[in-house]
Amino acid sequence: MMADEVSLARLAGLAQQGDREAYRVLLQTCQTWLRRYFARRINPCQLDDLVQDTLLSLHRKLASYDPARAFLPWLAAIARYRWVDHLRRIYRASEVDLEAEFEAPSDEPGIAARISLERLFTYLPSSQVTAIELVKIEGLSVSEASRASGQSESLIKVNIHRGLKRLAALIQET
Amino acid sequence: MSRDNSLLIDRLVADLVPVPPLTRNGGLLRAGLAALATIASTIMVSGVRPELGAGKVGAVFLLASGLFLVLAYAAIYGVIQSSRPRVGNRQSGWLWASAMAALLPAGALVTLVLAWGGHGGAALDREGWRCLGAGLLAGLVTGAVLVVWLRRGAPTSPVRAGLMTGIASGSIGIFAFGLSCPHDSLAHIGLWHGGAVLASALLGRFVVPPLIRW
Repeated sequence: MMADEVSLARLAGLAQQGDREAYRVLLQTCQTWLRRYFARRINPCQLDDLVQDTLLSLHRKLASYDPARAFLPWLAAIARYRWVDHLRRIYRASEVDLEAEFEAPSDEPGIAARISLERLFTYLPSSQVTAIELVKIEGLSVSEASRASGQSESLIKVNIHRGLKRLAALIQET
Repeated sequence: MSRDNSLLIDRLVADLVPVPPLTRNGGLLRAGLAALATIASTIMVSGVRPELGAGKVGAVFLLASGLFLVLAYAAIYGVIQSSRPRVGNRQSGWLWASAMAALLPAGALVTLVLAWGGHGGAALDREGWRCLGAGLLAGLVTGAVLVVWLRRGAPTSPVRAGLMTGIASGSIGIFAFGLSCPHDSLAHIGLWHGGAVLASALLGRFVVPPLIRW
Protein backbone atom coordinates (compact mmCIF):
# COMPACT_ATOMS: atom_id res chain seq x y z
CA MET A 1 0.00 0.00 0.00
CA MET A 2 1.31 3.46 -0.88
CA ALA A 3 2.02 5.77 2.04
CA ASP A 4 0.25 9.10 2.02
CA GLU A 5 1.90 12.42 1.27
CA VAL A 6 2.19 13.46 4.92
CA SER A 7 3.85 10.17 5.91
CA LEU A 8 6.30 10.39 3.01
CA ALA A 9 7.26 13.95 3.92
CA ARG A 10 7.79 12.85 7.53
CA LEU A 11 9.88 9.83 6.46
CA ALA A 12 12.02 12.01 4.19
CA GLY A 13 12.54 14.51 7.01
CA LEU A 14 13.63 11.68 9.34
CA ALA A 15 15.92 10.28 6.65
CA GLN A 16 17.62 13.68 6.36
CA GLN A 17 18.32 13.42 10.08
CA GLY A 18 19.93 10.00 9.57
CA ASP A 19 17.06 7.67 10.59
CA ARG A 20 17.86 4.48 8.67
CA GLU A 21 14.61 2.64 9.34
CA ALA A 22 12.60 5.58 8.06
CA TYR A 23 14.89 5.76 5.06
CA ARG A 24 14.41 2.08 4.24
CA VAL A 25 10.62 2.47 4.29
CA LEU A 26 10.92 5.62 2.20
CA LEU A 27 13.10 3.96 -0.45
CA GLN A 28 10.82 0.92 -0.66
CA THR A 29 7.77 3.13 -1.09
CA CYS A 30 9.57 5.29 -3.66
CA GLN A 31 10.61 2.20 -5.56
CA THR A 32 6.98 1.12 -5.92
CA TRP A 33 5.95 4.63 -6.94
CA LEU A 34 8.79 4.89 -9.48
CA ARG A 35 7.97 1.54 -11.06
CA ARG A 36 4.44 2.79 -11.67
CA TYR A 37 5.67 6.17 -12.90
CA PHE A 38 8.11 4.71 -15.43
CA ALA A 39 6.00 1.70 -16.45
CA ARG A 40 4.12 3.59 -19.18
CA ARG A 41 7.13 5.60 -20.25
CA ILE A 42 9.93 3.18 -21.12
CA ASN A 43 10.74 -0.26 -22.37
CA PRO A 44 9.90 -2.80 -19.59
CA CYS A 45 13.36 -4.36 -19.85
CA GLN A 46 14.91 -0.99 -18.92
CA LEU A 47 12.57 -0.37 -16.00
CA ASP A 48 14.81 -1.77 -13.25
CA ASP A 49 17.84 0.19 -14.44
CA LEU A 50 15.94 3.45 -14.51
CA VAL A 51 14.35 2.84 -11.09
CA GLN A 52 17.79 2.11 -9.64
CA ASP A 53 19.32 5.20 -11.27
CA THR A 54 16.55 7.31 -9.79
CA LEU A 55 16.93 5.79 -6.32
CA LEU A 56 20.64 6.61 -6.49
CA SER A 57 19.82 10.19 -7.50
CA LEU A 58 17.33 10.42 -4.64
CA HIS A 59 20.10 9.27 -2.28
CA ARG A 60 22.66 11.76 -3.62
CA LYS A 61 20.22 14.66 -3.71
CA LEU A 62 18.32 14.02 -0.49
CA ALA A 63 19.44 17.42 0.83
CA SER A 64 17.51 19.17 -1.95
CA TYR A 65 14.20 18.07 -0.42
CA ASP A 66 12.64 20.70 1.82
CA PRO A 67 10.64 18.94 4.59
CA ALA A 68 8.31 21.94 4.72
CA ARG A 69 7.09 21.12 1.19
CA ALA A 70 5.24 18.16 -0.32
CA PHE A 71 7.36 15.09 -1.05
CA LEU A 72 5.83 13.60 -4.21
CA PRO A 73 6.30 16.70 -6.43
CA TRP A 74 9.99 16.55 -5.45
CA LEU A 75 10.23 12.84 -6.24
CA ALA A 76 8.39 13.39 -9.53
CA ALA A 77 10.86 16.12 -10.53
CA ILE A 78 13.82 13.83 -9.77
CA ALA A 79 12.17 10.98 -11.69
CA ARG A 80 11.39 13.18 -14.70
CA TYR A 81 14.97 14.45 -14.82
CA ARG A 82 16.30 10.89 -14.87
CA TRP A 83 13.71 9.91 -17.49
CA VAL A 84 14.69 12.81 -19.76
CA ASP A 85 18.34 11.85 -19.31
CA HIS A 86 17.44 8.27 -20.26
CA LEU A 87 15.59 9.48 -23.38
CA ARG A 88 18.54 11.65 -24.33
CA ARG A 89 20.82 8.63 -24.19
CA ILE A 90 18.37 6.70 -26.38
CA TYR A 91 18.22 9.64 -28.77
CA ARG A 92 22.01 9.87 -28.98
CA ALA A 93 22.27 6.12 -29.52
CA SER A 94 19.62 6.19 -32.24
CA GLU A 95 21.33 9.17 -33.85
CA VAL A 96 24.54 7.15 -34.08
CA ASP A 97 22.54 4.19 -35.46
CA LEU A 98 20.89 6.41 -38.03
CA GLU A 99 24.20 7.87 -39.15
CA ALA A 100 25.49 4.34 -39.67
CA GLU A 101 22.34 3.44 -41.61
CA PHE A 102 22.78 6.46 -43.87
CA GLU A 103 26.28 5.26 -44.72
CA ALA A 104 25.42 1.58 -45.18
CA PRO A 105 21.75 0.50 -45.31
CA SER A 106 21.08 -2.39 -42.98
CA ASP A 107 18.19 -4.80 -42.52
CA GLU A 108 18.94 -5.16 -38.82
CA PRO A 109 15.82 -4.50 -36.74
CA GLY A 110 15.94 -1.05 -35.16
CA ILE A 111 14.43 -1.88 -31.80
CA ALA A 112 16.24 0.64 -29.62
CA ALA A 113 13.51 1.47 -27.18
CA ARG A 114 9.83 1.14 -26.62
CA ILE A 115 8.80 4.55 -25.49
CA SER A 116 5.17 5.12 -24.76
CA LEU A 117 4.64 8.80 -25.38
CA GLU A 118 1.11 8.99 -26.66
CA ARG A 119 0.45 12.38 -25.11
CA LEU A 120 3.59 13.90 -26.57
CA PHE A 121 2.89 12.33 -29.94
CA THR A 122 0.03 14.78 -30.36
CA TYR A 123 2.63 17.54 -30.82
CA LEU A 124 4.34 15.77 -33.72
CA PRO A 125 3.32 15.52 -37.39
CA SER A 126 1.65 12.20 -38.18
CA SER A 127 4.47 11.13 -40.50
CA GLN A 128 7.00 11.41 -37.66
CA VAL A 129 4.71 9.59 -35.23
CA THR A 130 4.23 6.77 -37.74
CA ALA A 131 7.97 6.42 -38.32
CA ILE A 132 8.78 6.35 -34.59
CA GLU A 133 5.96 3.93 -33.79
CA LEU A 134 6.86 1.49 -36.55
CA VAL A 135 10.62 1.43 -36.01
CA LYS A 136 11.21 2.36 -32.38
CA ILE A 137 8.14 0.83 -30.76
CA GLU A 138 6.95 -2.02 -33.00
CA GLY A 139 10.51 -2.91 -33.93
CA LEU A 140 10.19 -2.98 -37.74
CA SER A 141 13.28 -2.38 -39.83
CA VAL A 142 13.51 0.86 -41.78
CA SER A 143 12.67 -0.94 -45.04
CA GLU A 144 9.68 -2.72 -43.47
CA ALA A 145 8.46 0.57 -42.00
CA SER A 146 8.90 2.14 -45.41
CA ARG A 147 6.68 -0.50 -47.05
CA ALA A 148 4.10 -0.32 -44.26
CA SER A 149 3.80 3.46 -44.25
CA GLY A 150 4.39 4.35 -47.88
CA GLN A 151 7.22 6.71 -46.90
CA SER A 152 10.63 6.31 -48.51
CA GLU A 153 13.41 4.77 -46.38
CA SER A 154 15.27 8.07 -46.26
CA LEU A 155 12.11 9.84 -45.14
CA ILE A 156 11.57 7.26 -42.39
CA LYS A 157 15.09 7.93 -41.07
CA VAL A 158 14.67 11.68 -41.26
CA ASN A 159 11.27 11.53 -39.56
CA ILE A 160 12.63 9.38 -36.71
CA HIS A 161 15.57 11.73 -36.27
CA ARG A 162 13.44 14.88 -36.22
CA GLY A 163 10.66 13.32 -34.17
CA LEU A 164 12.96 12.07 -31.39
CA LYS A 165 14.74 15.39 -31.28
CA ARG A 166 11.45 17.24 -30.96
CA LEU A 167 10.24 14.80 -28.28
CA ALA A 168 13.37 15.36 -26.20
CA ALA A 169 12.81 19.13 -26.45
CA LEU A 170 9.13 18.79 -25.55
CA ILE A 171 9.90 16.69 -22.50
CA GLN A 172 12.39 19.23 -21.25
CA GLU A 173 9.87 22.03 -21.75
CA THR A 174 7.13 20.33 -19.72
CA MET B 1 10.75 -6.15 -5.41
CA SER B 2 13.69 -7.45 -7.43
CA ARG B 3 16.77 -8.81 -5.67
CA ASP B 4 18.94 -6.11 -7.29
CA ASN B 5 16.72 -3.36 -5.93
CA SER B 6 16.76 -4.90 -2.44
CA LEU B 7 20.55 -4.97 -2.47
CA LEU B 8 20.67 -1.39 -3.69
CA ILE B 9 18.28 -0.24 -0.98
CA ASP B 10 20.36 -2.07 1.67
CA ARG B 11 23.48 -0.30 0.41
CA LEU B 12 21.83 3.13 0.30
CA VAL B 13 20.44 2.67 3.81
CA ALA B 14 23.90 1.66 5.06
CA ASP B 15 25.40 4.77 3.37
CA LEU B 16 22.91 7.18 4.90
CA VAL B 17 24.37 10.12 6.80
CA PRO B 18 22.42 13.09 8.16
CA VAL B 19 22.13 15.88 5.58
CA PRO B 20 20.93 19.40 6.34
CA PRO B 21 18.17 20.33 3.88
CA LEU B 22 18.80 23.15 1.43
CA THR B 23 16.47 25.85 2.65
CA ARG B 24 15.52 29.00 0.79
CA ASN B 25 16.72 31.22 3.62
CA GLY B 26 20.04 29.36 3.80
CA GLY B 27 20.60 29.97 0.10
CA LEU B 28 19.57 33.62 0.27
CA LEU B 29 21.86 34.15 3.27
CA ARG B 30 24.89 32.70 1.48
CA ALA B 31 24.22 34.67 -1.69
CA GLY B 32 23.62 37.82 0.36
CA LEU B 33 26.94 37.40 2.18
CA ALA B 34 28.69 36.85 -1.14
CA ALA B 35 27.09 40.02 -2.51
CA LEU B 36 28.14 42.02 0.55
CA ALA B 37 31.69 40.67 0.27
CA THR B 38 31.70 41.65 -3.41
CA ILE B 39 30.51 45.18 -2.67
CA ALA B 40 32.95 45.65 0.22
CA SER B 41 35.96 44.35 -1.70
CA THR B 42 35.10 46.40 -4.80
CA ILE B 43 34.84 49.57 -2.71
CA MET B 44 38.15 48.76 -1.03
CA VAL B 45 39.87 48.29 -4.39
CA SER B 46 38.20 51.01 -6.47
CA GLY B 47 36.77 53.43 -3.92
CA VAL B 48 33.40 55.15 -4.29
CA ARG B 49 32.38 57.81 -6.78
CA PRO B 50 32.97 61.27 -5.33
CA GLU B 51 29.38 62.49 -5.51
CA LEU B 52 28.24 59.40 -3.59
CA GLY B 53 30.48 60.38 -0.70
CA ALA B 54 29.07 63.90 -0.86
CA GLY B 55 25.52 62.55 -0.79
CA LYS B 56 24.69 63.79 -4.31
CA VAL B 57 23.71 61.13 -6.79
CA GLY B 58 22.22 61.31 -10.26
CA ALA B 59 18.80 59.96 -11.11
CA VAL B 60 20.14 57.59 -13.78
CA PHE B 61 22.66 56.11 -11.36
CA LEU B 62 19.99 55.59 -8.71
CA LEU B 63 17.54 54.06 -11.15
CA ALA B 64 20.13 51.76 -12.72
CA SER B 65 21.50 50.63 -9.37
CA GLY B 66 18.01 49.84 -8.17
CA LEU B 67 17.23 47.85 -11.31
CA PHE B 68 20.46 45.85 -11.05
CA LEU B 69 19.78 45.11 -7.41
CA VAL B 70 16.21 43.94 -8.11
CA LEU B 71 17.45 41.85 -11.03
CA ALA B 72 20.16 40.30 -8.84
CA TYR B 73 17.65 39.40 -6.14
CA ALA B 74 15.18 37.91 -8.63
CA ALA B 75 17.89 35.82 -10.30
CA ILE B 76 19.38 34.65 -6.99
CA TYR B 77 15.91 33.69 -5.78
CA GLY B 78 15.36 31.76 -9.01
CA VAL B 79 18.67 29.92 -8.59
CA ILE B 80 17.88 28.96 -4.99
CA GLN B 81 14.43 27.69 -5.97
CA SER B 82 15.75 25.75 -8.94
CA SER B 83 18.17 23.88 -6.69
CA ARG B 84 15.16 22.39 -4.86
CA PRO B 85 13.18 20.70 -7.60
CA ARG B 86 9.49 20.00 -7.67
CA VAL B 87 7.04 19.44 -10.48
CA GLY B 88 5.32 22.71 -11.35
CA ASN B 89 8.19 24.80 -9.93
CA ARG B 90 7.97 27.68 -12.40
CA GLN B 91 10.06 30.79 -11.89
CA SER B 92 9.19 33.89 -13.85
CA GLY B 93 10.31 36.70 -11.53
CA TRP B 94 13.80 36.80 -13.04
CA LEU B 95 12.32 37.12 -16.53
CA TRP B 96 10.23 40.15 -15.57
CA ALA B 97 13.18 41.71 -13.77
CA SER B 98 15.37 41.06 -16.84
CA ALA B 99 12.78 42.73 -19.06
CA MET B 100 12.79 45.78 -16.79
CA ALA B 101 16.58 45.95 -16.68
CA ALA B 102 16.69 45.61 -20.48
CA LEU B 103 15.16 49.08 -20.61
CA LEU B 104 18.61 50.45 -19.70
CA PRO B 105 20.48 49.18 -22.79
CA ALA B 106 17.41 49.90 -24.91
CA GLY B 107 17.37 53.50 -23.66
CA ALA B 108 21.13 53.72 -24.21
CA LEU B 109 20.79 52.59 -27.80
CA VAL B 110 18.04 55.11 -28.48
CA THR B 111 20.20 57.85 -26.94
CA LEU B 112 23.18 56.84 -29.02
CA VAL B 113 21.22 56.71 -32.25
CA LEU B 114 19.60 60.09 -31.63
CA ALA B 115 22.91 61.70 -30.69
CA TRP B 116 25.03 60.00 -33.33
CA GLY B 117 27.40 62.51 -34.93
CA GLY B 118 27.33 64.67 -31.82
CA HIS B 119 28.54 63.47 -28.45
CA GLY B 120 26.86 60.08 -28.73
CA GLY B 121 30.07 58.29 -29.64
CA ALA B 122 31.60 59.38 -26.36
CA ALA B 123 29.92 56.42 -24.67
CA LEU B 124 31.98 54.06 -26.80
CA ASP B 125 35.19 54.72 -24.92
CA ARG B 126 37.81 52.66 -23.13
CA GLU B 127 36.25 53.39 -19.75
CA GLY B 128 33.33 51.30 -20.88
CA TRP B 129 35.44 48.22 -21.41
CA ARG B 130 36.90 48.74 -17.94
CA CYS B 131 33.38 48.77 -16.43
CA LEU B 132 32.40 45.67 -18.36
CA GLY B 133 35.50 43.74 -17.29
CA ALA B 134 35.36 44.91 -13.68
CA GLY B 135 31.65 44.06 -13.43
CA LEU B 136 32.31 40.55 -14.70
CA LEU B 137 35.25 40.08 -12.37
CA ALA B 138 33.40 41.42 -9.34
CA GLY B 139 30.54 39.00 -9.97
CA LEU B 140 32.73 35.92 -9.77
CA VAL B 141 32.38 35.49 -6.01
CA THR B 142 28.59 35.48 -6.14
CA GLY B 143 28.70 33.20 -9.18
CA ALA B 144 30.97 30.73 -7.41
CA VAL B 145 28.75 30.65 -4.31
CA LEU B 146 25.67 29.99 -6.45
CA VAL B 147 27.40 27.23 -8.43
CA VAL B 148 28.43 25.50 -5.20
CA TRP B 149 24.84 25.79 -3.99
CA LEU B 150 23.48 24.35 -7.24
CA ARG B 151 25.92 21.45 -7.06
CA ARG B 152 24.56 20.55 -3.64
CA GLY B 153 21.01 20.80 -4.97
CA ALA B 154 19.25 19.08 -7.85
CA PRO B 155 18.57 21.60 -10.64
CA THR B 156 16.38 19.94 -13.24
CA SER B 157 16.98 22.68 -15.86
CA PRO B 158 20.75 23.21 -15.79
CA VAL B 159 20.69 25.64 -18.73
CA ARG B 160 18.13 27.92 -17.10
CA ALA B 161 19.93 27.65 -13.75
CA GLY B 162 23.20 28.59 -15.47
CA LEU B 163 21.60 31.58 -17.17
CA MET B 164 20.11 32.80 -13.88
CA THR B 165 23.47 32.33 -12.15
CA GLY B 166 25.15 34.47 -14.82
CA ILE B 167 22.52 37.20 -14.53
CA ALA B 168 22.73 37.20 -10.72
CA SER B 169 26.52 37.37 -10.57
CA GLY B 170 26.73 39.98 -13.36
CA SER B 171 24.08 42.17 -11.70
CA ILE B 172 25.79 42.03 -8.31
CA GLY B 173 29.18 42.64 -9.91
CA ILE B 174 28.09 45.68 -11.88
CA PHE B 175 26.04 47.04 -8.99
CA ALA B 176 29.19 46.89 -6.85
CA PHE B 177 31.43 48.43 -9.49
CA GLY B 178 28.78 51.03 -10.31
CA LEU B 179 29.42 52.52 -6.87
CA SER B 180 32.93 53.38 -8.07
CA CYS B 181 32.24 54.25 -11.71
CA PRO B 182 32.31 58.03 -12.25
CA HIS B 183 30.11 57.97 -15.37
CA ASP B 184 26.48 58.83 -14.97
CA SER B 185 25.03 58.95 -18.48
CA LEU B 186 22.28 56.62 -19.63
CA ALA B 187 24.37 55.73 -22.69
CA HIS B 188 27.33 54.59 -20.60
CA ILE B 189 25.34 52.75 -17.94
CA GLY B 190 22.94 51.15 -20.38
CA LEU B 191 25.60 50.06 -22.82
CA TRP B 192 28.50 49.03 -20.59
CA HIS B 193 26.89 48.18 -17.29
CA GLY B 194 24.00 46.45 -19.04
CA GLY B 195 26.57 44.79 -21.30
CA ALA B 196 28.34 43.35 -18.24
CA VAL B 197 25.12 41.65 -17.15
CA LEU B 198 24.50 40.36 -20.66
CA ALA B 199 28.06 39.01 -20.98
CA SER B 200 27.81 37.38 -17.56
CA ALA B 201 24.46 35.81 -18.50
CA LEU B 202 26.01 34.32 -21.64
CA LEU B 203 28.97 33.01 -19.67
CA GLY B 204 26.63 31.45 -17.14
CA ARG B 205 24.51 29.93 -19.89
CA PHE B 206 27.47 28.08 -21.40
CA VAL B 207 29.91 27.57 -18.51
CA VAL B 208 27.66 26.64 -15.59
CA PRO B 209 25.47 23.75 -16.94
CA PRO B 210 28.33 21.22 -17.24
CA LEU B 211 29.33 22.05 -13.66
CA ILE B 212 25.91 21.36 -12.17
CA ARG B 213 24.57 18.39 -14.16
CA TRP B 214 23.91 15.35 -11.99
